[in-house]
Amino acid sequence: MTSTKPRTSTRTEVLESRPVNLDGFVEEWPEKGLVAMESDFDPAPSVRVEDGRIVELDGKARADFDFMDTFIANHAIDVASAEECTAIPSVDIARMLIDPGVSRGQVLAVTRGLTPAKILDVVKLMNVVEIMQAMQKMRARRTPANQGHSTSARDNPVQVAVDAAEGALRGFAELETTLGVVRYAPLVAIALQVGGQVGRGGVLTQCALEEATELELGMRGITAYAETISIYGTESVFVDGDDTPWSKAFLASAYASRGIKMRFTSGTGSEVQMGNAEGKSMLYLEIRCILMAKGAGVQGLQNGSISCIGVPGAVPGGIRAVAAENLVASMVDLECASGNDQSFSHSSMRRTARLMPQLLPGTDFVCSGYSAVPNADNMFAGSNFDTEDYDDWNTIQRDLQVDGGLRHVREAEVLQVRNKAARALQALFAHLDLPPITDDEVEAATYADSSNDYPLRDVLSDLKGAQSVMERGITGLDLVRGLETTGFHDVAESLLSVLRQRVSGDLLQTSAVLTADFTPLSAINDVNDYAGPGTGYRLAGERWEELKKLRHVTSATNPETEVG
Amino acid sequence: MTTVDPGRSPARLVVGVDIGNSTTEACLASIGPDGSITYLATDLTRTTGVKGTPDNTAGALTAVRGALERAGRRVGEVHTVLLNEATPVISGLAMETITETIITESTMIGHNPATPGGEGLGVGTTVPVGALPEQAPGQPVVCVVPAGADFDDVAAAVNAAVRRGVDVVAAVLAGDDAVLVTNRLDRPIPVVDEVAAVERVPLGMLAAVEVAAPGRTIRTLSNSYGLATVFELDPAQTRQVSPVARALTGNRSAVVVRTPTGDVTDRRIPVGELVLRGAGKTLRVDVDAGAEAIMDTVARVQPLDDAHGEPGTHVGGMLAQVRDTMADVMDVAGQPDVPVSEIAIRDVLAVDTFVPAEVRGGLAGEVALENAVALAAMVRTSRSRMQLVADLVSEQLGAAAEIGGVEGEMAVGGALTTPGVDRPVAVLDLGGGSTDAALLTREGECTAVHVAGAGELVTKLIDSELALDDRETAESVKRFPLAKVESFFHVRHEDGTVQFSDQPLPPHVFARVVVLTPDGPAPVPTWHGLDHVRRVRREAKRRVFVVNALRALRQVAPGANLRALDFVVLLGGSALDFEIPDLIADALAPHGVVCGTGNVLGTEGPRNAVASGLVRAHAAVLAEGARCPAS
Amino acid sequence: MTTATTPERTLTLREIGPAGRGTRPDEVVIAVSPAFAGHFTKTIVDVPHAEVLRQVLAGIEEQGVTARVIQVFDTADLAAISHGGAKLSGSGIAVGILSRGTTMIHQKDLPRLSNLELFPQSPLLDPAVFRMIGSNAAQYAKGESPQPVPTRNDQMARPRWQAKAALLHLKEFECIQAGRPAVEVEPVFGRVGSRRLG
Repeated sequence: MTSTKPRTSTRTEVLESRPVNLDGFVEEWPEKGLVAMESDFDPAPSVRVEDGRIVELDGKARADFDFMDTFIANHAIDVASAEECTAIPSVDIARMLIDPGVSRGQVLAVTRGLTPAKILDVVKLMNVVEIMQAMQKMRARRTPANQGHSTSARDNPVQVAVDAAEGALRGFAELETTLGVVRYAPLVAIALQVGGQVGRGGVLTQCALEEATELELGMRGITAYAETISIYGTESVFVDGDDTPWSKAFLASAYASRGIKMRFTSGTGSEVQMGNAEGKSMLYLEIRCILMAKGAGVQGLQNGSISCIGVPGAVPGGIRAVAAENLVASMVDLECASGNDQSFSHSSMRRTARLMPQLLPGTDFVCSGYSAVPNADNMFAGSNFDTEDYDDWNTIQRDLQVDGGLRHVREAEVLQVRNKAARALQALFAHLDLPPITDDEVEAATYADSSNDYPLRDVLSDLKGAQSVMERGITGLDLVRGLETTGFHDVAESLLSVLRQRVSGDLLQTSAVLTADFTPLSAINDVNDYAGPGTGYRLAGERWEELKKLRHVTSATNPETEVG
Repeated sequence: MTTVDPGRSPARLVVGVDIGNSTTEACLASIGPDGSITYLATDLTRTTGVKGTPDNTAGALTAVRGALERAGRRVGEVHTVLLNEATPVISGLAMETITETIITESTMIGHNPATPGGEGLGVGTTVPVGALPEQAPGQPVVCVVPAGADFDDVAAAVNAAVRRGVDVVAAVLAGDDAVLVTNRLDRPIPVVDEVAAVERVPLGMLAAVEVAAPGRTIRTLSNSYGLATVFELDPAQTRQVSPVARALTGNRSAVVVRTPTGDVTDRRIPVGELVLRGAGKTLRVDVDAGAEAIMDTVARVQPLDDAHGEPGTHVGGMLAQVRDTMADVMDVAGQPDVPVSEIAIRDVLAVDTFVPAEVRGGLAGEVALENAVALAAMVRTSRSRMQLVADLVSEQLGAAAEIGGVEGEMAVGGALTTPGVDRPVAVLDLGGGSTDAALLTREGECTAVHVAGAGELVTKLIDSELALDDRETAESVKRFPLAKVESFFHVRHEDGTVQFSDQPLPPHVFARVVVLTPDGPAPVPTWHGLDHVRRVRREAKRRVFVVNALRALRQVAPGANLRALDFVVLLGGSALDFEIPDLIADALAPHGVVCGTGNVLGTEGPRNAVASGLVRAHAAVLAEGARCPAS
Repeated sequence: MTTATTPERTLTLREIGPAGRGTRPDEVVIAVSPAFAGHFTKTIVDVPHAEVLRQVLAGIEEQGVTARVIQVFDTADLAAISHGGAKLSGSGIAVGILSRGTTMIHQKDLPRLSNLELFPQSPLLDPAVFRMIGSNAAQYAKGESPQPVPTRNDQMARPRWQAKAALLHLKEFECIQAGRPAVEVEPVFGRVGSRRLG
């Protein structure tokens, strides 16, 4: 065939080959909900209260409520102030959000009475800079933090432990894991817990699994909190998953009954992805999720599109909507673990830009899963950032003088905690009569990058061992005892201190994390007091000195050497 | 509790603890002053560390505490803990493939694709499909089709050529398209497909393609004289191609290309020697001589003092590793190291097996069942560290701890508590790494042996012979019966019975051969039928356990005569297997031996023999003391 | 091959009557979604529907099993399409295919939301995979135990295809004709700018 293709410019070829063109983009289709946050098909705000009960919500009479409306009307909106607050012009509320003269508390007094459509109406008025400005004030905890993923493509518990240790050392306040082979879960969850405490005492850990097992591991004290309890913005998607807002609330109370920290998960795009957006914009549906979480009484929410990021990422203004959903979680006084946790783009530039609305103002957890392992080992299908990006991240923190929760750590320290984590796990496995970890594995783990760098484990024995952990009823206290008897006194002490928190219940407070001296830091004792320039969290003092360090910084005293 | 009668020593609480290779068992009993035994409880846990080392303490304590808990007794009440004299036994496994099939000059294709096309024999010159349009009519041709060709296009090209008078007699395809192409031809021809390396088929050579009807096998190309007829060979040439015919036997389809020096050879791979020392002799045997030759040699050097393998071979590496592991195990801080040279391999078991391996030089990933030899070796040492375990147990429980009795003797003692058993009795302890036998004569003399090879070797044979490459699956094939899932609502068991279920079976087992594990049916990832899997499983068990049972019993039997044994009691984890006891009983039946699975204390099955044997022995000593005392 | 370029094949589905229940135990039903080879002509990664269907049919034919093709109009739910097909299949086995390429092998006795094999990552399905799917479906129909078609995974499929998949899903839903019963169709293949194959 002699084709007569029109000649293309060399520049077009260069542009065509840029990674960003491997990403997918689609046109909006508001009738079907394939639209970020500006849709003519979203309802107009309205609320009417009769006899202390909301009888009309966003243009719908109570008789026409679906179960989301019912749940939100009954549990999420402050009936006493609803009519008054919703009557405030949206532009006034938007201005309150960015006005340093209006305190966070004053804003919360208004947002607690707002309907979903009203909240959407407010954030629709804000551009990304305003959203960031509002986030800076509305974030619940004063001190921002970050969360890491520690997983292994081979579910190798040794790798999970040492990468957890390194991650904790680098600054993650929470660590999350999940599995390829689910039956491995008990061993990997133990590894994460032990590794995390070696890296930095007080790190909180979780293991994402189906809900029953996740709860059991939490109740046994093998994990410290839970996050992957998914909620959706339409009744039909909820029903497809055999769930209701009430069943999720029930699960939440099961955690609370044991003093275990937990948050829900939701995000823009999930409903339209499943074809059941009911013609509403992604952000409107996400606001319904946020209020449902609020109504269920959980302290926090992981949002920011999460696993559906490809959907808002492909429509105009989608990343603005994602920033807005994080803000809405914070402005209704929920802890916000703000996404940035799934492979988002082929383009590094776009990956970084997507992060800015969370990194610059700071959120409770800037990433709800920065991959603390190479992305090939990330069993959450890859994160927006991984171990390769550590130095870039640290440099961006230093450039912009913002705290993204991480820091540069010298190799000697990294090797030391990795080695110790591997040895602690080795000793604990031997003590608990679990499949042995060899000295070769400890050695490999100390210096490894990815799961390919480790000797293969005997999967059969591991799975039997994992099963025996469940059958023998091993709990967090058994881990403490094992670490103590095998000479890892400090690790045992740290883990015990973490477990003790479930008795005091302090981690049930909004945005709670544990500091290295086991002080719970939450919206109660570390409340965000931002009130304009010079106030709130400032990157200064010791922490700023820490973040000035990078792998290579030329010494000013002796330019022939490097500091750090 | 009853009060103690003053002047008489009270009943004392003792615990017998048996530390085995994989399990640690405890037997709690109360022994009266007269030596009468009241068994209170037993317990079983996994052995911690290698048997006979201080690491065992944790498991021993778990088992003791478990038994106490079941009996509702307290740790403080224990008078004495009785431990067996456990000597470390370490076993290793290795496999050497000793034959290799090689095809040279791409002489033959014999991979048996699932769906060849057409039927019959076609002989012609190999021509690429792309060259068909230029092919002159007349001469018969075999059309060779590269990867990526579309079946519609290929059929059209062949039909066009045939219409022009080109005599296309057969085709060889890269893709899985034989039926598709044949269905579209005006004149049917035999077609062999899924020849992955079709580009290496020699072109312009005389070739024969044969496809048999479904359910039949080829007749011409698997017959040396058939090949001679097709290619007009003289007797010398016929002799040369006979390996080709043999390699193609049993196939439904095949291609043979006549090339100047093409050949199929079945080569033996030299894999080194095994050097066996014992009975004052040192004998050498080539591992590739096969299991029979190796075991003959082993028999000639009984009792074996030591064995070495050639460095750089799997067997040599395995034997060295077993030795090193034992040396590591024997290392105790503060005591001199045990030199590796002091650690001797005391038994070797060789088993013939086969390994499905890809044929070298094959064009279609042909797989040949290559011969292989699997070896199990065992090392034991007299240097037990049990005293350390006893000291640690004593310290932790605040009770006396004694090391009493040799394992074999204790096991026999325990086995004697099986209803219906009497002296002389032999026990066979079927474990994971080794098979142990002990004999107690009528006179009360006891002899014991350990031989290499047990459950783990069976798993390895199953794994490699079924090409599972998955020890977990092989393990469950070994342990559980098979079935075929015939629909979502019924399975056919390996004995032919059909079982229906109300609930649909899970989709991942649909139409598959499954093992019926306690957690439900699990698929066996193999294309073999149920019968084949079953045969492999039973053969593996027979070649290891039956062979070892006879070997071990001959070593303890008076005059190596099995007829001199009256009762054989099977003990240990593998005695719980659903068919191994029957296989052994069948093999022993001709020798007039009563053989069965033990039922220790009448309740424990094949478990707890040594632990309860320890208690019995201890009670006997007490009774002795009670009879000839200063009363 | 004989020619350097292969002209693209076309596909039309000619309706031949209501979709009935098959009686031959050696048949596999291929059930396609409402917009297949109609509103849409290719999958999310531009594999022509003609090639999708041709390869699934070829995989079945190569195993010596027959195939019937039906088109479903009242749902675009893959499980419903596939399970509906399985119930009409003489062997109880069906292959369900959505326009964007997502495919499933189903069996009539399974619960609707279950399946024998599911290929959820439509961007990773190429003609060779469709051939294997057809082949496996036919082997199930024969009572054999095929190895499941290897499923692939690609972390970067999310940024590239997630939104387009959602869009195609919505579009297919638009093509649903509530209440219109499934029909049996004859696939008619042609070649662009070329004579029809016999």
